[in-house]
Amino acid sequence: MDANAAAAADAKHHRSPSAGRYVAVWVALLVLTATTYLTARVDLGGSWNLVVALVIAAVKASLVVLFFMHLWDSRGTNRLVFLVSVFFVILLIAGVVGDMATRFPLARPPEATGLTGAGEEPEGPGRDPAHGAQNQRVR
Amino acid sequence: MEARLAHHFRAIETQRHAERLGMWLFLATEVLLFAGLFCGYTLYRYLYPETFKLASAHLDVFLGTVNTVVLISSSLTVALAHHFAHRDRSRMAGVLLFVSVLAGLAFLGVKAVEYTHKFEEGLLPGRYFHAEGLTAPGASMFFTVYFLTTGLHAFHVVVGMGVLVWIGVRAWRGEFHANHSMPVELGGLYWHLVDLVWIFLYPLLYLV
Amino acid sequence: MSTAPVPASFVPGPEDPAPGPPHYLKDGTTVRSWLLTVDHKRIAILYLVSVLVGLFLGGMFAMALRLELLTPGPTIMDALTYNRMFTLHGVTMIFLFMIPAIPAVFGNFFLPIMLGAKDVAFPKLNLLSWYVYVIGGALALWGMVHGGADTGWTFYTPYSTTTPTKVLPILLGASIIGFSSILTGLNFIVSIHTLRAPGLTWTRMPLFLWSLYGTSIIQILATPVLTLVLLLVATEAAFGFGLFDPARGGDPVMFQHLFWFYSHPAVYIMVLPAMGVISETISTFSRKNIFGYRMVAFSSLGIAFVGFFTWGHHLFVSGQSTFDAGAFGILSMFVGVFTAIKVFNWVATLYKGAISFKTPFAYICGFLYFLVFGGMTGVAVATVSLDVHWHDTYFVVAHFHFIMVGAVMMAFLAGLHYWFPKMFGKTYHEGWGLVAASLIVLGFNATFIPQFLLGNAGMPRRYYAYHESFQALNVASTAGATLLLFGFVIIAIYLVLAFRFGGPAGPNPWGSRGFEWVTASPPITENFDGEVEVTGTPYDYQEDQPSVRVTPEAE
Repeated sequence: MDANAAAAADAKHHRSPSAGRYVAVWVALLVLTATTYLTARVDLGGSWNLVVALVIAAVKASLVVLFFMHLWDSRGTNRLVFLVSVFFVILLIAGVVGDMATRFPLARPPEATGLTGAGEEPEGPGRDPAHGAQNQRVR
Repeated sequence: MEARLAHHFRAIETQRHAERLGMWLFLATEVLLFAGLFCGYTLYRYLYPETFKLASAHLDVFLGTVNTVVLISSSLTVALAHHFAHRDRSRMAGVLLFVSVLAGLAFLGVKAVEYTHKFEEGLLPGRYFHAEGLTAPGASMFFTVYFLTTGLHAFHVVVGMGVLVWIGVRAWRGEFHANHSMPVELGGLYWHLVDLVWIFLYPLLYLV
Repeated sequence: MSTAPVPASFVPGPEDPAPGPPHYLKDGTTVRSWLLTVDHKRIAILYLVSVLVGLFLGGMFAMALRLELLTPGPTIMDALTYNRMFTLHGVTMIFLFMIPAIPAVFGNFFLPIMLGAKDVAFPKLNLLSWYVYVIGGALALWGMVHGGADTGWTFYTPYSTTTPTKVLPILLGASIIGFSSILTGLNFIVSIHTLRAPGLTWTRMPLFLWSLYGTSIIQILATPVLTLVLLLVATEAAFGFGLFDPARGGDPVMFQHLFWFYSHPAVYIMVLPAMGVISETISTFSRKNIFGYRMVAFSSLGIAFVGFFTWGHHLFVSGQSTFDAGAFGILSMFVGVFTAIKVFNWVATLYKGAISFKTPFAYICGFLYFLVFGGMTGVAVATVSLDVHWHDTYFVVAHFHFIMVGAVMMAFLAGLHYWFPKMFGKTYHEGWGLVAASLIVLGFNATFIPQFLLGNAGMPRRYYAYHESFQALNVASTAGATLLLFGFVIIAIYLVLAFRFGGPAGPNPWGSRGFEWVTASPPITENFDGEVEVTGTPYDYQEDQPSVRVTPEAE
């Protein structure tokens, strides 16, 4: 459909919601903020704290985007633009962290404690079985 | 004042759609702008998880939470401003926009307090880091990421406040009504983005 | 098909004496009317002048490099100056010329016309994008004049954060130019969504617009990451925050990730519009419907998206994990598929077409040849095991110059020669056009084929001094560069002469069915003298009736 018909359809989308809707969203956001604050004080083990915090943040963000920013009653194009941008953020982070997570150990920062097997600088010729012979030669 | 139909648009609704789409595209660029910093945060947190936890404990969670509430509430006032502008209550919209600007000021004020505290304790990025008791590898990196992300965010708060002031003045002068409220909507979208970024920064920096 | 009678409206003819509104070049003749214009066509001309300045500077830096490389040791400059030269060559060519050239010049000029619209969606934003470009460019140039950086245009850390040379103005300038790119992309996407004339459905749109749409998506999503990472390097160089500093626990390879997340899609910002130009010209100069319109259109989107999944192929030897390397290597091959789709469709368009071998067509031929060979060497370097040998050698340099100069520059020249009559209302000398095209194609081959051989033999890139066994090929490459230079000089001469003294071009000198050829040459400020309605595609040469109807507005 051409731009004019699409625009007329758009006009129907933009019935403004009542003010009460905004206040309800605000209350929900405050409740979620309290929730994330409280759950952070409880140690959930492993990296679950981070997961819970991110989930809550995502819910809060969704409320802001959908209702304060009107994506709930907005056109598909705008929604697609936002979703695509989020997708590419995830792509960037996945590519970079994925690299670090799968790197050859000696290519990582030596003091990094978050990686299994890293954070210890083995001394002497026993450092790496593949290079053991080489080190002995050097010594 | 009426919304003027530009000569190259065929209908006012098309023009409005174009303006909204343009704003969403611009917001997409802002999302990708912060992406690099979130990437840095994720990478370095992945590498130094314990240090990040220790370092984060030096941030004031109370102030961070206050700022979160302030920003969320300012998003409410901005959304309401558009609501009233669209219902021919331009002055009310102006009032709400000024309240939002005050919230922004409060946010920046709290951040100034926090930054001063960091200076005093030597919790600074890179080569300026000289905090005692926090010597684990990656400690200064937490504060590098902290200052870069909150700094870039604060810059956007300032820009957002400028936008809201400009629109607020126009609203107070009675410019907006049902057929002409796009500036409030678009300016509001920018402010909501500033809030969105903080919604993620708060747990990642303060609640680690 | 080629034997159908040509409708009278498409026969090249003399200019119609057009009473009525003045054309855009004459509509306001003060400097102010140019510097404060919101007419997309004037903005396109402003960009044209600016990008040609960038091309000239980048070309001069290149000639300086090639002269220095005539001998294995010092020739005309010292090592530090040499390092500055290749940095400035890269920065100028990429940010001041290649990224804006086709979109900001031909895109700005023709996108609204091809949509049947009077302007882009946000004309003032369009003008702002030019000023942002000029400010960023001026800042970068200022930095160059004051010594300039020696880091290479890729600004790798930790050297870029610790070099004593002047990186900051260039980093900031490039960041600012990025905003110009973003604004242009934003304008184009919104325009395509909202300004299409009645009857212009997505699948009737000129393919140039599809390619600009894909380009704009990349500009929106990728450029902010570059803006950020350059600013991060600038702050680190200025303040030592240590984000990429291993001594502080940082990872210098993260810089490379962030940098190439933009800079790989950036090459598609450069090549996609070029491909769009070729789609337009190839149909016109074979007087034939484009083969596989939908495949070509969607492949533009394919390149735009899949291009984002491949950045790690620039990090194969930087310490990136083999897992990531493998993934990025395979994904990089996928991108080649979309380009191949286009090439096959273009060739199929040429098949049994009524070829008109004019200057733009000469550049089309060059483009096809360079795109195929440049692209195939791209697939070759995407192979991790091969790239370990070729990375940071002249093989890679030759590969990307085949695409950047061979493909994109050929397309720019094709577009320039194709649309020159429309933009300026004058014709240029066709004979000299073919002469220059031959020199350029020849010169290009002579410049860059030796570089494949050099790289494969192991000569590293960005090296000031090299082993004497490489000298013969380096001399050949410099000779080729000189031929290229002559070709460009000749083009500059006859185009400037044509602009001043050329014969009048009619509305449609090529007999094309493209939408832009319905307007006058040059077009009036409002583009169309009435209401526009689209009833066909820009490529249906089998039809008699025009695809665009302009109904003069009732008085």
